Amino acid sequence: MNAPTRILVTHLQHHVFYVTDLERSKAFYIKVFDLQFSALNHPDSSAAMRLSQQEMHFFSFGFHHHDICLVKHHKLKMDNNSMLHFTLAVKDAEAFDEIRRRARDMDLPIREGRMLASARPVSRAFCLQDPDRHWIEIIEEPSR
Amino acid sequence: MSNTAFVPPNVLPPFKLRFAGLLKRKWFREMVLLWPTLTKRRFSNKTEDYGVFKPSLVSHIGQLSIYVRDIARSRAWYEKVAGMIHSRTCELEPHPFKEGWRIRCCYMSATDHEECLVLVEEYDPSGRITVPSGMSFFHFALEVKGNQLEDVLAFAKQQQADGFQLNYGPVRHNSEPPLGDGETGGNVACYLYDPDWHNVEFCGAMDTIENYRERYGELKGKDRA
Repeated sequence: MNAPTRILVTHLQHHVFYVTDLERSKAFYIKVFDLQFSALNHPDSSAAMRLSQQEMHFFSFGFHHHDICLVKHHKLKMDNNSMLHFTLAVKDAEAFDEIRRRARDMDLPIREGRMLASARPVSRAFCLQDPDRHWIEIIEEPSR
Repeated sequence: MSNTAFVPPNVLPPFKLRFAGLLKRKWFREMVLLWPTLTKRRFSNKTEDYGVFKPSLVSHIGQLSIYVRDIARSRAWYEKVAGMIHSRTCELEPHPFKEGWRIRCCYMSATDHEECLVLVEEYDPSGRITVPSGMSFFHFALEVKGNQLEDVLAFAKQQQADGFQLNYGPVRHNSEPPLGDGETGGNVACYLYDPDWHNVEFCGAMDTIENYRERYGELKGKDRA
């Protein structure tokens, strides 16, 4: 008898990370990337958030309900010691240029190239930090 | 630091895990939210939910790098649980932003997403490996092949049969019984802790702008509250 087929995962779907100030981070992600605010889970409206003492703001890239979520833990302090970076792939070359222009206008320090020296090359890449010093890598992928 | 017994403070203790399953019961959710209901602080999520009607500048999440204590152990976990494919493990390289520190990267791929996850061992200047704090992110999510409710349920069953304990789920993040936990997004999900207590969601069937429009047309959340 054949062993049952394992169920695999197809891709990284969304990322939910801690921030210290939800409104500040919300403004940052909307201003730099045009992310769409899609939902709010608050301890006064969500039983799960009330039990876990957290508040979560959901953001969409424009198709799925959420792609990244910002979480504030009301009792614990966040840090940057379990994640090195995350990467946002842009829609097209114009989007890459637009994000770079906005970052420059906001005087955000820019780090050129990929975050990890061992990462595969892409068409273009640069990195910046959000208000909580999470490193975000922005990449333009080669045309397929 | 080689404190293998370290458990991050955001990891749910066993007694809370027992309550977590009750979130699928409406009476339990109402009980938890009794105080904000009585004090009239409770509000509906609908005012903001699904207000997505235009694209952003971003297409998708390209990659996530997380710190681990032991690449071999974590790689084995992601291969076994998620069926991920080991792409390559690199030699030590300088840490990108910590002077004198070094990292080793292990690149893992999903079936349709090359090198989406990087498992990173971080070494301080004295050569000691660091212990991930658990306090940078709440969880990240990997989509299960098939992307339907049944696929996530089968995935959860498979993990339990293999002896891996779910820390939450399977649930559906909406209010529809029997799986709904009152949350938002519509995704069916189950959650497991990896060897470093990173919380990993395995999900499918998330709501999209298309199925939102089928239900509500062009009405934004605030218009249907």
